[in-house]
Amino acid sequence: MIDGIFQFIDENTYLLLGIIKAVVIASALLGVVPLLVWLERRLMGRFQVRLGPNRVGPYGLGQPISDSIKLLFKESIIQNSADKFLFHLAPVVVVFTAIVSFAMIPMTGHFEFFDVKMGLWAANVNSGILFVFAISGMGIYGMVLAGLSSNNKYSLMGGLRSSAQMISYELTLGLAALCVIVHTGSLNLVDMVERQSSWPNALNILNPPLMIAFVLFFIAGIAETNRAPFDLPEAEQELVAGFHTEYTGMKFAMFFMGEYINMVTMSALITILFLGGWNSYILPDWAVVGFFVFAFKVSALLCVFIWLRSTFPRIRYDRLMTFGWKFLVPIAIINLFLGAAIRVI
Amino acid sequence: MLIDLGWFSFDLFQITYDGVLLAVGGTAILAALGVVLCSSPIYSALYLIGHMICLAILFLMYGAEFIAAVQLIVYAGAVMILFLFIIALLGGKKESQSFDFHKFMALSFIGTVLAELALSARVGPTRPVTGIFDEKLIADVGNAKAIGLELYSKHLIPFELASCLLLVAGVGIICLSKFTYKPPQRRSN
Repeated sequence: MIDGIFQFIDENTYLLLGIIKAVVIASALLGVVPLLVWLERRLMGRFQVRLGPNRVGPYGLGQPISDSIKLLFKESIIQNSADKFLFHLAPVVVVFTAIVSFAMIPMTGHFEFFDVKMGLWAANVNSGILFVFAISGMGIYGMVLAGLSSNNKYSLMGGLRSSAQMISYELTLGLAALCVIVHTGSLNLVDMVERQSSWPNALNILNPPLMIAFVLFFIAGIAETNRAPFDLPEAEQELVAGFHTEYTGMKFAMFFMGEYINMVTMSALITILFLGGWNSYILPDWAVVGFFVFAFKVSALLCVFIWLRSTFPRIRYDRLMTFGWKFLVPIAIINLFLGAAIRVI
Repeated sequence: MLIDLGWFSFDLFQITYDGVLLAVGGTAILAALGVVLCSSPIYSALYLIGHMICLAILFLMYGAEFIAAVQLIVYAGAVMILFLFIIALLGGKKESQSFDFHKFMALSFIGTVLAELALSARVGPTRPVTGIFDEKLIADVGNAKAIGLELYSKHLIPFELASCLLLVAGVGIICLSKFTYKPPQRRSN
């Protein structure tokens, strides 16, 4: 019996590893969300010269737990005029696409584990960056569906705004990433990091055209994740709460889960494309060290996201579209030409 | 993994693969039927999105990662979001169409599918046209690179002609949408 089990494990190592990786990554992402909420509230408190949540547990760390319990037990209200099926589907789409798009993100290099060569990623797809864009692009549908199904003018406006904004900024995001693809010559995220491992090529951000691409990618990334100052889909002053006006309880929280996971994915993508991924250049070249370096870079970027939120006021909607189409896209195209020319020379 | 039941032995992976393939293909057909039969425009668009996603999964299962990603980005992502956008702007109301038309469409669709099934059963499994690439070379250089090499060497002129066509279409869109628009005159005091 036991021999049979061992034989089964031996034959199907890759299958089992894949299942374990999928479960670990999904649960880790869901576990990171409450921590991020706590971090955001604490940091916002510091930025605004107040304390933030500090009563529940040490440093207020119990606050996210009590918050999630509260959200779980809240009554879920659906108004009569809503389209029930789409109303339930929308938050599911948001969270699902957010988690799946993280599956392509590599977190550290190859390492040997019980004589099996493996890497800390769910899927090392050959055209990985395209898949991240493709699947995170599906997340727009969640917001549009939430706006459409709520049968509420404010929600509809929020949904329309979110789709228009995300389509516009996806262009800049893609063009900025294309610069890195031209520089690296590969669509594979692992290749991109390994290209940056030694000094003449280290840190893509130090390369002049990629420096501009980094700024463009970062701005477009904030707009893609619907974070302030680009949180027009949920602008409180104009739209009550945008596409999730009618949502209560856990369904309401799922939109935020999606937003925070998207934030993590975007930070990880910026780290991989521009900041050298898991390469630390000074610390020893171990996989564990690589993972911690990667986590450090990602969390630093997350803090920048939160910092931006508490620093900038929300910009007007027409300004947002003008900024995207008339300023960022032309710069991104010229920058791409520049990068391609430098690469050819 | 080969499973042997004595009288009947099969490869578990192959059977699972075939099963998933059939399920995804069947879902794609059902979703396509839903596009035609559904009377609410929102649901119709959603069925079309589902159909596109199924196609992308099929591409992925046949090992064409690049095409799958492009299918998701271009069709399921960009094109369909514009459809939904317009439906949301115009207000998608349920429309009552005459039932005969639906029936006719569905029946012809099902007939086509059955004919295709019969045809494929007669012809047997299809073989991919590989060109200069065999499967080993594609695995070596990667999906996107293989497509790029083929596209920019053998099919360069058609590709460039297509891009010219797209450029003309883009300029045409700008002309059509921009120059008929007259800005409201500012009232002079």
